[in-house]
Amino acid sequence: MSCSGNPSSSGGGGGGGPCGACKFLRRKCVAGCIFAPYFDSEQGAAHFAAVHKVFGASNVSKLLQHVPEHKRPDAVISICFEAQARLRDPIYGCVAHIVSLQQQVVSLQTELSYVQAHLATLELPQPQPPQPQVSSSTSPPPLSISDLPTISPSVYDLSSIFEMGMSSTWTMQQQLRPSDHFFGVPSGSNMGGGGELQALAREFLQGGQVPAQPSPGTSGSASTVIKRE
Amino acid sequence: MNPTKRCAACKYLRRRCPKDCIFSPYFPPTDPDKFACVHRIYGAGNVSKMLQQIPVQARAEAVESLCFEAKCRVEDPVYGCVGIISLLQTQIQKTQSQIAQTQAEITIAQTQSSQFM
Repeated sequence: MSCSGNPSSSGGGGGGGPCGACKFLRRKCVAGCIFAPYFDSEQGAAHFAAVHKVFGASNVSKLLQHVPEHKRPDAVISICFEAQARLRDPIYGCVAHIVSLQQQVVSLQTELSYVQAHLATLELPQPQPPQPQVSSSTSPPPLSISDLPTISPSVYDLSSIFEMGMSSTWTMQQQLRPSDHFFGVPSGSNMGGGGELQALAREFLQGGQVPAQPSPGTSGSASTVIKRE
Repeated sequence: MNPTKRCAACKYLRRRCPKDCIFSPYFPPTDPDKFACVHRIYGAGNVSKMLQQIPVQARAEAVESLCFEAKCRVEDPVYGCVGIISLLQTQIQKTQSQIAQTQAEITIAQTQSSQFM
């Protein structure tokens, strides 16, 4: 993402020309321009165009002024993200993404309950009747905007948001199959390689590591974990 | 025009509320904070432009999503609703990890039970 999270200069109006924001606004980029550290003159103009269209330059300027300077890069990134999401989906913006993720959470929690129940039956001393299969066509209950959370966590990994493959989760109609989320150790129905499987399972449990899972739409950007003070 | 019939947006903007006011169906005078929040983040002009580009039947949902994002941004000026996205992604990763771990335990239990049979 070219709306930079790293301040490259303390202001515009120097030998480097106007920042992306002032270029877009066709105005003189003064020293101390609030946008200059975050919108470079090359691709920054395109990202600022989205921000300007959704929020407006003066609103973003006011927002940034109320944010501590060391937090402004993150603020700019999240504002750019929301602006682009709103332009991509004028009705739901990034709320569609949130709802999709919430449905994914509900689906995974259902799946987790199922496998935990399955495990409980295996650990019982007497054999139990087979458990009913979770239908793969079972869809999570529809969520509305009023169900959306308002929690504020303390640590954010902004880079992972852009690696999620935004284009695949923008619709409100996304149906996620529980089987999409199985990874690592496969189910025990195929016991042909029982020894290898057991070794893999033990290694997993002892190491406490999650097996590598390719993330969709990976852009290759470095992970950035931002701690909220 | 009776001033008490103005929508929350026109009341906030201190102007008369026309019959075809684009805001009035979605910002009733009973909830002034809703428009105040949206105006603070997006501005009345930008909201009006956005609504004009959306089909009438979808505008109510658009307003609700704008209000939600604006409220998130007011409560968290740095991350807004992107913070919620990050939280949900973390929750997803954690649950996937728990599922994988439970699957591994199932495999071990099944292997052990087949060995004893």
